[in-house]
Amino acid sequence: MKFLKSILFFLIISVLIFQGCTTKVPLTPQQNQQKEILSNSIEESTTDSTEFDSEFEEEKESIVDPLSGYNSFMTSFNDIFITYALNPVSEAYGYVIPQPIRIGISNAFHNIQFPIRFVNNLLQGKFQNVSDETERFIVNSTVGLAGLMDPAQEYMHIPKHNEDFGQTLGYYGVGSGFHIVLPFFGPSNVRDFIGISVDAYASPLVNIRGLENYKIPNNFAQSTVIVAGYLINKNSLELGQYESLKKDALELYPFLRDIYEQKRTADIEE
Amino acid sequence: MLKALLIILSLSITSHAIVESQIQQVMDKKVHQVLNILKNKALSQKQKEKKSISVMNSIFDYKTMAKISLGKKWKKLSATEKKQFTKVFEKKIKHSYVDKLRLYNNQRVISKKLKKVKPTRITLENQIIGKTDTYKVVYLFYKDKKANQWYIYDVRLSGVSIIQTYRKQFSSFLKTKSFQALLKSL
Repeated sequence: MKFLKSILFFLIISVLIFQGCTTKVPLTPQQNQQKEILSNSIEESTTDSTEFDSEFEEEKESIVDPLSGYNSFMTSFNDIFITYALNPVSEAYGYVIPQPIRIGISNAFHNIQFPIRFVNNLLQGKFQNVSDETERFIVNSTVGLAGLMDPAQEYMHIPKHNEDFGQTLGYYGVGSGFHIVLPFFGPSNVRDFIGISVDAYASPLVNIRGLENYKIPNNFAQSTVIVAGYLINKNSLELGQYESLKKDALELYPFLRDIYEQKRTADIEE
Repeated sequence: MLKALLIILSLSITSHAIVESQIQQVMDKKVHQVLNILKNKALSQKQKEKKSISVMNSIFDYKTMAKISLGKKWKKLSATEKKQFTKVFEKKIKHSYVDKLRLYNNQRVISKKLKKVKPTRITLENQIIGKTDTYKVVYLFYKDKKANQWYIYDVRLSGVSIIQTYRKQFSSFLKTKSFQALLKSL
């Protein structure tokens, strides 16, 4: 019995080994696949990289970047600011304030900026988003305790629709203009910088002369405190993300610039 | 004897990548496997990283990624240079992936929609639910026509293409510096 078994084993093995060279048994599709995958991995993979070229942007010869000197300086400045000021402060803040509360504060900041999203969704004719955002604002401001909680998302599954005036301009075909790195806030460009300035009118968190009744802060100092609080709270929930991103960069400034522009383009297309 | 047969059988059954009809299913399974690995408190950070990578390995086509990321420069390289670059690039991508995983420990992932962009391209959109925001992750698959299998050649995080970003960086790096310097800095 044992002898028979070993003969059978030998036969199977020899069939498997010699099937390629002695008799030309046609391969089953399964085996064919195997063969190709193998040759694929041994040799150069069969895909031609030119096949993908149309999907990826060609390296532009020169990017219009009149502020490149200032921008790379400001990128290093922000980098130092994040590493030696924002991160330690956020860490201490996160140590004292439990995470659920910080998430609540972040929700409330988002909720109160509702006018920006409302106006810009409206300007872009995205009426479903306008109604979603309005519903979210009403639900979260009441049931969600002044926006500290997000029951609209959690229980009613109404999605957020972030839109700002920079995106609205982009939506109507306004180009990004050259890149500007803002102190403390990081990458931006001409279009988005105009966008931020216009959105400041709609945001209740930035003081503007003549609109005191609508705005929460009454002067620049109060605005600054609110914005600083916003930055620290936000950063305390995202610690480590910037550092992890930085590791992918060969050179920090062009890398951050590229990522920012790609993201904004994607946001506008949505 | 039986063992040998079983081994032979299983070897011919296990596929290296995915066929079209199973992309969403297989990806869901893999993503959840990774999430479970990350949540497993019995594992050390190193073990988690190793395991997560091995789950994803079979569907990421690092070679094609390396090729695309270099663009036109790829063709000018010698065979050994290509090999060197692919090796270094693969390591870099894996390292970066693992580093991102470390940050997204307790997140939920929702698989959204599969789109066939072209006969040979499929995109799969996932949503990562973070602490305060949701992020969109899109996996880009191409079809290896000969093998009739699908592989990932790019990932887009919140609209930012990983391979495109490398492509830009490499091309501007190589404008002023040599290929060997690039290998070193990776």
